[in-house]
Amino acid sequence: MSHVLSVVLWLPIATAVLLMLIPRRWSAEIKAIGLAAALIEFVVSLTILSHFEDGVAGMQLVEAHPWIKQWGITYSLGVDGISLWLVLLTTLLTPVVFLSGWNAITKHPKEYVIAFLIMEAAMIGVFIATDLLLFYVFFELTLLPMYLVIGVWGGANRIYAAIKFFLFTIAGSLLMLLGIIYMAFLHFHDSGIWSFAVTDFYGMHYRSGTVEALLFVAFSLAFAIKVPLFPLHTWLPDAHVEAPTGGSIILAGVMLKMGTYGFLRFVLPFFPNATAKYAPWLIALSVIGVIYGALVAWVQPDMKKLVAYSSVSHLGFCVLGIFALQQTAIEGSILQMVNHGLSTGALFLLVGVIYERRHTRKLADYGGLGGVMPVYATFFIIAVLSSVGLPGLNGFVGEFLILSGSFKTQPRATILATTGVILAAIYLLWLVQKVFFGPITNEENRHVKEIAWNEIAAMVPLVVLMVWIGVHPNTFLKKMTPSVQQLLTTVQNRGGAVMLTEKTR
Amino acid sequence: MTLHPLIESAWMNAVLPELILSAGGMLLILWSAFAPRLKGTTAPLSLIVFIVAALSENAVRGGNFFGGTYQVSAITQLFDITFLLAAILATLFAREYLEREGIEGGEFYALLMWGTVGMMMMAKGLDLLVVILGLETLSICIFVLVGYHRRLPVSNEASLKYFLMGAFATGFVLYGTALFYGATQSTKFEVMTRYFATADATNPLLTIAFVLLLSGLGFKLAVAPFHGWAPDVYQGAPTPVAGWLSVAPKAATLIALVRIFASMMPTFHLARWSTMVAALSVLSMIIGNAVAIAQRDLKRMLAYSGIAHVGYMLIAMLSVRDQSVAAVTVYVITYALMNIGAFGVISMLAKNQNDPQTLDDIAGLGFRRPFYGLALTVCMFSLSGLPPTAGFIAKFYVFKTAVDSGYTGIALVGILTSIVSVYYYLRVVYYLYMKEAPEGYAVPVAGMFATGALAISMIGIFVIGIFPTPLFEMAGAAAHALLP
Repeated sequence: MSHVLSVVLWLPIATAVLLMLIPRRWSAEIKAIGLAAALIEFVVSLTILSHFEDGVAGMQLVEAHPWIKQWGITYSLGVDGISLWLVLLTTLLTPVVFLSGWNAITKHPKEYVIAFLIMEAAMIGVFIATDLLLFYVFFELTLLPMYLVIGVWGGANRIYAAIKFFLFTIAGSLLMLLGIIYMAFLHFHDSGIWSFAVTDFYGMHYRSGTVEALLFVAFSLAFAIKVPLFPLHTWLPDAHVEAPTGGSIILAGVMLKMGTYGFLRFVLPFFPNATAKYAPWLIALSVIGVIYGALVAWVQPDMKKLVAYSSVSHLGFCVLGIFALQQTAIEGSILQMVNHGLSTGALFLLVGVIYERRHTRKLADYGGLGGVMPVYATFFIIAVLSSVGLPGLNGFVGEFLILSGSFKTQPRATILATTGVILAAIYLLWLVQKVFFGPITNEENRHVKEIAWNEIAAMVPLVVLMVWIGVHPNTFLKKMTPSVQQLLTTVQNRGGAVMLTEKTR
Repeated sequence: MTLHPLIESAWMNAVLPELILSAGGMLLILWSAFAPRLKGTTAPLSLIVFIVAALSENAVRGGNFFGGTYQVSAITQLFDITFLLAAILATLFAREYLEREGIEGGEFYALLMWGTVGMMMMAKGLDLLVVILGLETLSICIFVLVGYHRRLPVSNEASLKYFLMGAFATGFVLYGTALFYGATQSTKFEVMTRYFATADATNPLLTIAFVLLLSGLGFKLAVAPFHGWAPDVYQGAPTPVAGWLSVAPKAATLIALVRIFASMMPTFHLARWSTMVAALSVLSMIIGNAVAIAQRDLKRMLAYSGIAHVGYMLIAMLSVRDQSVAAVTVYVITYALMNIGAFGVISMLAKNQNDPQTLDDIAGLGFRRPFYGLALTVCMFSLSGLPPTAGFIAKFYVFKTAVDSGYTGIALVGILTSIVSVYYYLRVVYYLYMKEAPEGYAVPVAGMFATGALAISMIGIFVIGIFPTPLFEMAGAAAHALLP
């Protein structure tokens, strides 16, 4: 049995515990240890990739130990094609956060580093847990550090944003907890064994369609809040605007994906019939999210809010791809989760860079920065183009796969969603034009310091991956194909079978 | 001198921890009377007594004693340990609190010991009268302890309130017992079990008796609608006492209730008495959590949160089965760790004890006293039931039991009110870390004893939260001993 996943999971926590013992006045050393640990973590997580076998659909690198024997809860980990890239995205973005905040975080650096390390471990745990309760533990554990990150290092209105973020998410996840308990109870009554293993709930027998529908709602609500799906998205702009740059990068880059990942890993295979029945509703909400998010982003005077609403729009594509229940669309959706992590992470990072120098995020305060900060402008434009979906960069591949796949099963919704791509081009290019081109309208912008070494170091890997995915997406897609295929088989077999029985009835 | 005759004699062996605590308390009073200058030693000495009492649990053999009215078994031992844990934590916090307030004395700890004896009797009684005796022993100790800060008006007021209300409640319990006696000709649970096996569930006398008993004991549990005293009493009582009071007597009352409910099967369900309990539970969860939001005084907030927590514990009691007893046991132990810990941090706030201790008093504490801040944060997250703390495991166990017994609707109420509760627990964390300390803010003094107690509760919270299996095994065995 390989222990790579356990190492990846516990390394950040071990570092965090170590850092707790170091006196707070050694702030430079603490930051260095944090960054070093995050980099080592990334390297270790790359070994997952080397152990990962292509063409295998099920879980790999599996580890399982009994945890709470009485309830059949196990400490079981595994990765498959669906979670692999999300784990790596998490381990990539954490060093990026530390690099970008190297100079910006002067208040309580020790606690900052500890919070992000614990958050990293919890997010990895979410993606690799193959026991439903273990997943739930990590799912909630991500909330605490993020709450502190927004609340302690955030902007002026941070308290409101932090509490709103926490309450929205916990409301969904506690209802999901009841759902989890109820499913385990149903499983116990059918089989006589308490178990929370994810695969034991595949192809569950529900007592009635209503039970399945209610459980579907309990799970979907938790994930829809996390994604966030329209109309549950209102916490997101607040949280993003108030969060410090690092918090925004992780929030947009990884945490939102916990919602889409949850749909893929749990909702689809657990409730195939309810999924087939209610997919149109979720698709409708996601298309509304795509268009609404884009329209609202268009009119934002604040750069960070603009990027935040663009997240609502982009995540709408991911959900559309998932509920299209079609191979290409789901693969595109997973790829788009990674893409969004890279491009939106980069955008939040860059907005943070300029905010730190000028202490304003108002579009109206900028103009003509292209001449003052050419390197910064280049990075910004690459990130924007990746987000817009320029062919040759990653965003294009993801959106194209989602749209072409969804068109086969949901043509009308897909056509509507495509307007989101056009709108994205409008508001993002408008952002670029306002900030970087034109004359310098504000004298203060004449002497803005160029992007610094640590920020460049944070940006380079993101840009490299944007190009890599854009040029050769197959590196990434080929690892997910078998798992997605298996997922769709699970969904369609059950769904199809019941549809037949309903017809004969 | 040999202790053997003491341990060998069956009845003495059965009450060995009680004997140690009773004698220890008396000696401690004499010690502080004859050696007033050595006041500082009373707390360490009483810790030794508590630890010896806990160790003596190993020497105790199980069985029924005193004419079948007193049971010693796995469950009573586990609860004894819980009571002792609560007392030890309270003692550790009290040491520095009493010293700072200048009211240290041996009688404080002696009363804690005798109160613990009362609770042990409640937990072990197989006869309603033994339970009532234990309840009275406990109540008298509480009256004095709550008013222990005798120069403070709030403390006196709290004591008087608790005394008047408590006297009423005991009266209710006695009336209920008398009516049951009238119906069953005995106050023994064993006889009651036989009677209820064939009882007429529609008999109004029984229902009246049950209502009286439940109201009286509900008062001790601070369950809504019998909760009115709790916020005032907690606010006025010396803070370590409030922490102890919010946990230990509730634990003792709950185990007595389990025995009472178990002896009343199947009438308990047939006469819809379980529905009454369910109503109390739902009401407590809603009132406790909703009103706690409005509290700025930390002790009042914890009082309302405690009302809600009893509501959660009662969810598990709706079906009297092995699993529900185990769930309650786990919940009680967890609650002792986290709630006394939370009160303990509050007890360390250096402030005129006559004034309310509000959220403003902990502003910025998280960075001024990182360990206290961390401890209070852990307690708050555990109280709100977030993983990986013990609070999550305990709540999960309760909700799982509820779903398993067909009370999914009540579990849903529990979940929804938990969401509400997160708000006010989080607000404490917000004040700890995100609010600047006010001008002229006095950083609380770090005390060795309190730090040790907080370490115990934090370690306990995480150990139960991450490795609950050993506790589950103990609780399972204990539950089996209670409901054979």
